[in-house]
Amino acid sequence: MADMGGKPRLPWVSWLIAAAVACIPLVITDRFLIKVLTFVGLNVLVAIGLALLFGYTGQVSMGHAAFVGIGAYTCAFLTVRIGTPWIVGFAAAGVIAAAGGLLLALPSLRLKGHYLAMATLGFGEIMSLIFVEAESVTGGVDGFARIPPPSVAGFEFKEPATLYWLVWAVAGVALLLAYNITRFRPGRAMLSLHGGEIGAVASGVDVVGTKIKAFVISAALAGLSGALYSGVVGFVSPSVFVLSSSVMYLAMAVIGGAGSLAGPVAATALFTLLEYLNALIPSMPAPIAENLGLYQTDIYGIAIILVVIFAPRGLTGLWQRRRSASSAKGGSLAERRQGSSTQADTPARPEGLEEGEGT
Amino acid sequence: MTLLSIQGLRKQFGGLLAVDDVSFGVHEGTIKALIGPNGAGKSTLFNLITGFERPDSGAALLNGVATTGMSARDVVRCGMARTFQDTRLFDNLTVIENVMVGTQVHYTPGFFAAALRLPSARKEERMIQEQAIRLLRQVGLEEWAGTPASELPVGIRRLTEIARAMATEPTLLLLDEPAAGLNSSETEDLGEALSRMRDLGTTVLVVEHDMALVMEVSDEIVVIDRGRKIAEGPPRLIQKDPVVVAAYLGEEYGNA
Repeated sequence: MADMGGKPRLPWVSWLIAAAVACIPLVITDRFLIKVLTFVGLNVLVAIGLALLFGYTGQVSMGHAAFVGIGAYTCAFLTVRIGTPWIVGFAAAGVIAAAGGLLLALPSLRLKGHYLAMATLGFGEIMSLIFVEAESVTGGVDGFARIPPPSVAGFEFKEPATLYWLVWAVAGVALLLAYNITRFRPGRAMLSLHGGEIGAVASGVDVVGTKIKAFVISAALAGLSGALYSGVVGFVSPSVFVLSSSVMYLAMAVIGGAGSLAGPVAATALFTLLEYLNALIPSMPAPIAENLGLYQTDIYGIAIILVVIFAPRGLTGLWQRRRSASSAKGGSLAERRQGSSTQADTPARPEGLEEGEGT
Repeated sequence: MTLLSIQGLRKQFGGLLAVDDVSFGVHEGTIKALIGPNGAGKSTLFNLITGFERPDSGAALLNGVATTGMSARDVVRCGMARTFQDTRLFDNLTVIENVMVGTQVHYTPGFFAAALRLPSARKEERMIQEQAIRLLRQVGLEEWAGTPASELPVGIRRLTEIARAMATEPTLLLLDEPAAGLNSSETEDLGEALSRMRDLGTTVLVVEHDMALVMEVSDEIVVIDRGRKIAEGPPRLIQKDPVVVAAYLGEEYGNA
């Protein structure tokens, strides 16, 4: 009865994980590994947005690498060429990417499924051409070099550990805000679109507005990730913001599972680390590491196929199935129902049902 | 008083005249049944009234306000909610969450308030939830509250969809074949639920094929056949109307 919001706050496990993530640079001194874990944070930021867009709202985007690119170039251009403070470039990256998201939302209001996928794919391809052709802003094929590390109020984030903290702080805040969104009215509105647009319209859900907001938020998060990326790496090349990256981002959302933030975040961590397995296992023979890198896209592809066939609801679905299987053993139907209601990772669980009964 | 007034609605799909100059009214506080053979245009009529399709001509007025020409969402906000022949539940949500989607139509907190857990969002979330719980209890669904919609039996699915529609606090509820797929005891429960809703002040327009249910609960019946209205009146007159019997009811009702 204490929290009248009725919705569960973050489970304590997530605070534990957050604390563990925060402590990593204190324990690990390997600079390369820290860098790799920073990349995980960058991808997590994109995955949060895609989880909202795909997993909650049911909208496909095959062009999200373009928003990362928009964010990276915006931040680099503003801080290096215009000379604005980093924080201004960072914020602008989010805003301009959000504007791009608005643009991409327009076809989504008319198109569904494969057609929306094609439209967003087209957007991604056009942007990757622009990144190469708009040389005066992006540096063309040669890329944008000598980008200074992020700095806020005179403090420069140039050490791997400080960069790590910066990236994960942003990702953590984004995750918290996204989590809150999913636990309230907008989250349910998004899920209802995924559940069926006609039913959503008939229930008075603002279908157009919800789709647009989901696109804008996910684009903004990708843009912020791009801005951080440019500061972390110090160099931006157009070869990064291409279709295969977009597919990888989408794969993380698909493999993570719909209607969940934790699933896509876990999938992102898993797949980003897979790419840099040699950082985790220093003793790994070089040929294996090279081959892993070479077949990375294939591994994603196979993983997607396996997930679609054997676990259509992704990591989240597997997790729920495992838990409901253990709670179903010998339980009555009512208990089982109770079980499925408490373990379902969808927002607005009927928490407070008991307290409501008193009124 | 006439709550819903249908005035000369007409809709053509290519060469097919689905709804042909249909006019009738639904009085406040009554249950009106819309019956007719398959393909008579009943569902099209529903779509026209609720903003899912645009009529070629004519209008539907709810309390004097034209709902034809509004978006389906605005129709809901105006106080007219509907269900579907093939229930359109959100299978990825639980029963109570489905109902909460309906409840939240009259609330405003958006993404920003939610992201920051502003007091406004939390307060309204609590109200949305309490309303949904109250509604579930009214229709006898509270024990199903936490069940994912994908796991519900047909009867409960229908009830859940009706509860979700009721959650938008409609003055007029439109039900498209609510008894389809229900067994006889479920149909009985449905009839009771409809009568209760009417007694609590909700006006109902229902498309239904189950004649026993129609005759039992409806105050008035309108019959359409091949897009045209062929009869309108109280159940006992409709039962004996030779035109209706010939077109739709068949002999057993004619002799009843």
